[in-house]
Amino acid sequence: MGGSGSRLSKDLLAEYQDLTFLTKQEILLSMYVVSAPHLVDEQQARSGNEHTGTPIAERANRSPLSARAHKRFCELLPQEQQSVEASLRAQVSFEQILSLPELKANPFKERICRVFSTSPTRDSLSFEDFLDLLSVFSDTATPDIKSHYAFRIFDFDDDGTLNREDLSQLVNCLTGESEDTRLSASEMKQLVDNILEESDIDRDGTINLSEFQHVISRSPDFASSFKIVL
Amino acid sequence: MEENPTLDSAAWGSSSGWLAPREARGASFPSPGRALSSVLNELPSAATLRYRGPGMLPWGTPEEEEEEDGGRSRQAFAEATQTELQDPHPSRELPWPMQARRAHRQSYSREQLVHGSGSRMDQWARLLRRPKEKTKEGLRRLQPWAWTLKRIGGQFGAGAESYFSLLRFLLLLNVLASVLMACMTLLPTWLEGAPPGPPGLNTSSPCGFYNPHSEGLVTFDTQLFNLLSGEGYLEWSPLFYGFYPPRPHLAVTYLCWAFAVGLICLLFILHRSVSGLKQTLLAESGALTSYSHRVFSAWDFGLSGDVHVRLRQRIILYELQVELEETMLRRQAAVRTLGQQARVWSVRVLLNLLVAALLGAAFYGVYWATESTVELQETPLVQETPLLKLGVNYLPSIFIAGVNFVLPPVFTLIAPLEGYTRSRQIILILLRTLFLRLASLVVLLFSLWNQITCGGDAEAEDCKTCGYNYKELPCWETLVGQEMYKLLLFDLLTGLAVSLLIQFPRKLLCGLCPGALGRLAGTQEFQVPDEVLGLIYAQTVVWVGSFFCPLLPLLNTVKFLLLFYLKKLTLFFTCSPAARTFRASTANFFFPLVLLLGLAISSVPLLYSIFLIPPSKLCGPFRGQSSIWAQIPESISSLPETAQNFLFFLGTQAFAVPLLLISSILMAYTVALANSYGRLISQLKRQRETEAQNKVFLARRAVALSSTHPAF
Repeated sequence: MGGSGSRLSKDLLAEYQDLTFLTKQEILLSMYVVSAPHLVDEQQARSGNEHTGTPIAERANRSPLSARAHKRFCELLPQEQQSVEASLRAQVSFEQILSLPELKANPFKERICRVFSTSPTRDSLSFEDFLDLLSVFSDTATPDIKSHYAFRIFDFDDDGTLNREDLSQLVNCLTGESEDTRLSASEMKQLVDNILEESDIDRDGTINLSEFQHVISRSPDFASSFKIVL
Repeated sequence: MEENPTLDSAAWGSSSGWLAPREARGASFPSPGRALSSVLNELPSAATLRYRGPGMLPWGTPEEEEEEDGGRSRQAFAEATQTELQDPHPSRELPWPMQARRAHRQSYSREQLVHGSGSRMDQWARLLRRPKEKTKEGLRRLQPWAWTLKRIGGQFGAGAESYFSLLRFLLLLNVLASVLMACMTLLPTWLEGAPPGPPGLNTSSPCGFYNPHSEGLVTFDTQLFNLLSGEGYLEWSPLFYGFYPPRPHLAVTYLCWAFAVGLICLLFILHRSVSGLKQTLLAESGALTSYSHRVFSAWDFGLSGDVHVRLRQRIILYELQVELEETMLRRQAAVRTLGQQARVWSVRVLLNLLVAALLGAAFYGVYWATESTVELQETPLVQETPLLKLGVNYLPSIFIAGVNFVLPPVFTLIAPLEGYTRSRQIILILLRTLFLRLASLVVLLFSLWNQITCGGDAEAEDCKTCGYNYKELPCWETLVGQEMYKLLLFDLLTGLAVSLLIQFPRKLLCGLCPGALGRLAGTQEFQVPDEVLGLIYAQTVVWVGSFFCPLLPLLNTVKFLLLFYLKKLTLFFTCSPAARTFRASTANFFFPLVLLLGLAISSVPLLYSIFLIPPSKLCGPFRGQSSIWAQIPESISSLPETAQNFLFFLGTQAFAVPLLLISSILMAYTVALANSYGRLISQLKRQRETEAQNKVFLARRAVALSSTHPAF
């Protein structure tokens, strides 16, 4: 197949709708985003103003341009990946994903990319991984799956539990990485002690997934804050 | 020291003192920690957690797969697969990557084909899932301004978003009320022929005369005055109660409209508050989890833009430091000596007395303003200058607005002096401002009642003949409607004035001022609690007045539309993001509750007027009846026999008392159930602790045994 189709087939679209929490429109929008990450930046640079809140719908509505962009992206890939399906599995490096405005300033961006990546070296995302990301962060995802992935994101050392170092690193991400925006050591210790006292039910010094989910289930703000909307 | 620094994952180097003494750790083997954690990683629970789907790499660092433990873990994963497939989860709810979910879906559908689809219920559930989702999505897309609300939430925080969401909800209520009004009030009025004109001067009756239209040519400023105060040609128009003719069908539908609107508003508000409460109402007694919530739900992943992110980080840091400080203060407060406590409490009593005095002065002012409006209008000076006449007419509204403007900042100043924690201070300020707003409205209504019923004295000279003060108020319902109309207009005008004359100039001028002072004076924040209380006050006014001024919901719809765009413009041009994050959960719980309170307060004057005050003899659809409610029994008596008996039965005690008893029993049962669930949860928590201790003990034993018998 040549690089002619920039449309997803209807079956594939229906399958994605069944397997994720996204609507058809959101899947198509994310496809434009992944197809032309470099072109999106160019256009922003050309228009010269920094849209912090522009919906991608406005970007994607310039549809002839996006279709050409996908073609261009396909041309950049080696020959054997030019079919639509293969291009969907093509790996996009972290830099391109991290250049999206929704993720660029997020302090958890590297963790998010690392958590959703399925490549063996964990340094790139495919389009399906990107869809997974959007699905988990969408409006309609169940609180269970959101809390599961939140746990993964907050588990900085990937050992399956949140220990004191993970919690300290989490708080540092929340308050800012530079020296003057951190809590003092005693404040950090007090805070982590308090968190462990509240959430560590079996008193083993770490928070595992079920304890995390138990705490999160009682937080009414979690579902509304764990959301990324394109 | 309990900590062993050689542990690989620091999972077990905790500060809890119950860890078994170190018989498992001798000096003989190189890294006991690795052995312990690898044993623990092979537990089925750990394997299930790390499982990521068939054919996918599990969670955790890839290096662990290279040891021969990899074989054991893969077996555990295979077992985990079996358990996963037995769970009838829809594929999208599994925390696996897309390929694994696809494989799961295919194998699941293949299994369904082989074993036959499950029970009838499952079939129906699956068939209905997609249409149900589509309808839900369709309803969500019907909601206007969804994108605007998301943008506001991302830039200005959850508090501002909850204000605009509440505004949109109230707009919906008002639109529904207007539509109902058009069907049940306007339509029947014109259905049986055009309504008659106002009674002229020549009609006379024992209850005086009523002449709403002034004669002759009216000047322009009189026209304007009439428009702003609801007098003149507006008085005999569909806007006010007096216009509607005394036809029996119209009377019934008019009354039913009032009750229908109240019922629908009640249902919608309950629905909205319950969906906000669902997460906070859990059986477990409120063990404070404020720190965990603050840290785990702190980050709003929808935030974009460097500036906003840095601002939010600063806010989070500030909040955490304040919270830690408050805990220390609370601990200090708990050990206060008797003398210090006495001092603190005496200060609190004094300040509360001060607040009560201020409120009392405010209410007296409102009462005086309403009482003296009539007298002031008689003075010749006022009669001549139309501007002064307008001012006197609007005196109650001006007083209420002034009081609502001046007192809340005073409350904000007083609250820190009382020595409460900051969250309690915010709640106190909110409660006091709420009381001020709603009570000033109540005082206005009370003074109106005083005028209408001569102070409740049915034997007073003015009220003896007709049951109400017919000399001054020949059509008292229209008067009440006019007061509410004036309150609505004045509220809109003050909103416009504050935005255009205070907020915009402040932003423009102080933006030009150099230095820190300019920046300080120029940064305004969107004061969510004040704005929301203003909304609720406006809606309460409309609920009180809509019986006496049926077009009021329509006017309110227009007003709220204007308000939406005005506030949005003000927000984006003049306000900076909030320095204090407002919890969305508080908003969703507190605001509908206050709205319910407003609805309850507005129903009291309405029910009182319907049941107890005789309607005007000269105007309105209920003229000639002994009370407004008397129309209903008359219409019921024209229904067939069985319907009459059923409706009368509903009103008797034989129906009400058993209903009350059954409701109380259900409530007591639910409370007892919740308590027992809470006890069960505490028990299970304790059991869990013990199990974890058992697990670690056994793992250590396993490590000790395997190290002393290397053959294992």
